[in-house]
Amino acid sequence: MKRLCLSITLIFAVLATTDCLPGPMDGSDGSKGVVITVYGFSIMKEPLEKSIFPAFAAKWKAEHGSNVSFITSFAGSETVTNQILQGAPADIAVLAIERDVDRLVQGGAVKNDWRARPGKGIVNTTPFIILVRKGNPKQINDFPDLAREGVQLIHPDPTSSGGAQWSLLAIYGSELKKSEAASGAEDIPKATQLLHEVWHNVISTPGSAREARTSLETGYGDALVTYELEGLMMTQAGEPFQVVVPKATIFSEHPAVMIDRSLTPEKRPVVEAFMNYLWSDEAQQAFVKHHFRSVTNDLFNQANPEFVKIELPFTIELFGGWDKAYPDVIQGVFINQIKTR
Amino acid sequence: MSANVSGVKHTRGFDVIKPLSVSVLIAIMLPLVLLPLASIFVFGTSNGLTSFWNALVAPEAIFALKLSFATSFWAMIFNVIFGLFAAYVLSRYAFWGRNAIIVMISIPTAIPTAVAGFALLLLWGPYGLLGRYLPPDMQIMFTPYAIILANIFVTFPLAFGVIMPVLETMSRSLEEASATMGASRWQTFWYVTLPSLRGAIVGGALLTFARAVGEFGSTILVSGNLAGRTQTAPLYIFSKFNEGQVEAANAVAVVLALFSFVIFSVLFFARDWLEAD
Repeated sequence: MKRLCLSITLIFAVLATTDCLPGPMDGSDGSKGVVITVYGFSIMKEPLEKSIFPAFAAKWKAEHGSNVSFITSFAGSETVTNQILQGAPADIAVLAIERDVDRLVQGGAVKNDWRARPGKGIVNTTPFIILVRKGNPKQINDFPDLAREGVQLIHPDPTSSGGAQWSLLAIYGSELKKSEAASGAEDIPKATQLLHEVWHNVISTPGSAREARTSLETGYGDALVTYELEGLMMTQAGEPFQVVVPKATIFSEHPAVMIDRSLTPEKRPVVEAFMNYLWSDEAQQAFVKHHFRSVTNDLFNQANPEFVKIELPFTIELFGGWDKAYPDVIQGVFINQIKTR
Repeated sequence: MSANVSGVKHTRGFDVIKPLSVSVLIAIMLPLVLLPLASIFVFGTSNGLTSFWNALVAPEAIFALKLSFATSFWAMIFNVIFGLFAAYVLSRYAFWGRNAIIVMISIPTAIPTAVAGFALLLLWGPYGLLGRYLPPDMQIMFTPYAIILANIFVTFPLAFGVIMPVLETMSRSLEEASATMGASRWQTFWYVTLPSLRGAIVGGALLTFARAVGEFGSTILVSGNLAGRTQTAPLYIFSKFNEGQVEAANAVAVVLALFSFVIFSVLFFARDWLEAD
C-alpha cells in the first residue's frame, strides 16, 4: 500500500512541477511582444505568412522598438466567421465575402464602420478562372463547357466556403453578362439553367477553396472554378494544370476587419497600425507578388505580366451588391432552385 | 469423446483449413486496413527520409504532437478515475436509476464527435449557457482546457466499459474474506479489489489515451485551431492536407500510426503480466 501510494504521489508531483500542458509557441509570456491573432479564409495564408507578417513586424520593431508576432488559423470563410461568432479569440479577420463581415457586424464582433478604410474595407481582389488538367483533355474553354456530359467538377461547398459562392456568382453572372452584351437584356432563365447543369456535374464539395484545390491535385475531377491566384501558384510550381480564362467572370473582393469586440487597450494601437499597413503600397505590392490584385493602385497590377486578361469582367455590383446577390442568387437560385432538386 | 469436435475432418499431418482461413483473414484486412495504413508510410516518405524528418521536426508539428499527448493524458487520468469509481458504485450497489446511469455513461459512444464539440461550445463558449458568466480571462473554450474537456467527453465510456464487466464478474469471495478478517472497506478496495483490476485499468487507460490522441471532430470546434497554440496533431494533419502540404500531413500521420501500433502491442504483450493474480 505504501509503495503504491508513494508512486502515485510521485507521478502527480512530477506532473505538477513540470508543464502539465505545453505552453503556447507564440510567446504570450511577453517575450515576443504583442501577439495578434488573425483568422483568414483559406487562400490568404501565403501572402500573410510569407510576406506581410514578417514585413510588418520588422517595420514595427524599427519604429517602436517592441516586438509583434502573429498566430493564425485558416479555413473556409464561412467557417472562420462561425468560429468568431462562437467566440474564437480573433483580433483580425480576412474574409472571402462581405456577407461574412455583415454577419460579424450583426453578431456584435465588428463595428459597422468597417467600410471607412481605404478600398471600402476591401483589401485585395482576384478574378475567378477555371483550372483544368494540363493539355485540357476535356476541352473546357468557358463556363458552359463545364455543363457538358462527362465533365467532373470539384466545387467547394457554398455553406462553408466564400470562394464557392464567388464561383456560383461567376458562372451565373457570366451568362447574364454575355446575354446582355449580345441582346441588351440579361437572360436570367438561361443563367439559372447553366448553373443547374454545371452543378449537376459536381462530384465533390470540399470545405474551402484550398481544400478543393488539394482534391484536384490528388487526382479527382477534371476542373475547378477558383481564384486566379490558385491557378497561377499551381502552374508556377510546375504542376500539371493549366488556367482557362472565361470570357466573362467575376472579380472577388476580400474584406479585412478588426474584431473590436475582444481588443484590449494595449493591443488596439498595434492592431490598428497593422490594419492600416494592409493598404500600404508595401503590403499591396506583396499581395501582387502572391498573385492577388491590388485595390489601391492599378500600376502594381500592370507591372505583373502573369495576370490574365478578361474580356467581360464584372463585380458583385452586377447583382446590386452582396445585399442582393446572396438572397437573389445564392439563396434564391442556388439553394432554393438547384441544390434542393 | 471424438477428437472431431469442430466437425472439420482432420487429415493426418496437414490441415488445409488453417492456411486457408488465415489467408482469408489477411485478404479481408488488406484492402480495408493494412493498405490504407501502408499508403501513409509510402506517401510520407516518398520525398526521401530527410524531408520526412524535416516535416516532422517543424516546430508546429512538434507542438501539435505534444499538445495531443498532454491533453489526452489528462483526459485519460480523469476518465480512468471516474470509470473506476463509477464501475465500483454501479457494481456494488443496487439502486433505483442504476441502469439509467449505465446507459447515460455510454451515450457519448454514439454521439457524433462534432456534436460533442458543438455541445461544449454551446455550454462553455463565451456566449454559451454557462460560459457567458465566466470572466474573460477565465474562458475555457479555445484553450487547451477545452481540448481536455472534449477528450473527456468523447472517451467517457471507454475506461468504464473495460473496468465494469471485470468488476461485475469478479468473485466476491476474496472481498468477503478480507472483510471478515477485519479489513476496512477502504483496505479491502486497496489490497483486494484494485490489484485484480490491474489489467482492466491499464487496458481502459490505454484505450482512452489512444482514442483521445486521434480525436478530431470535437477538437476542431472547441479549440479554435490556432497553429502553435491550440492545434492538436489531428488538426495539424487536416490543416496541412487542406493547404496541399501532403508531405507535412503524412509525417505526423506516420507518428500517430506508429503510436497506436505501440499502444496496442503493449496491451497485447503485457496481457500475461496484467492478468496475473
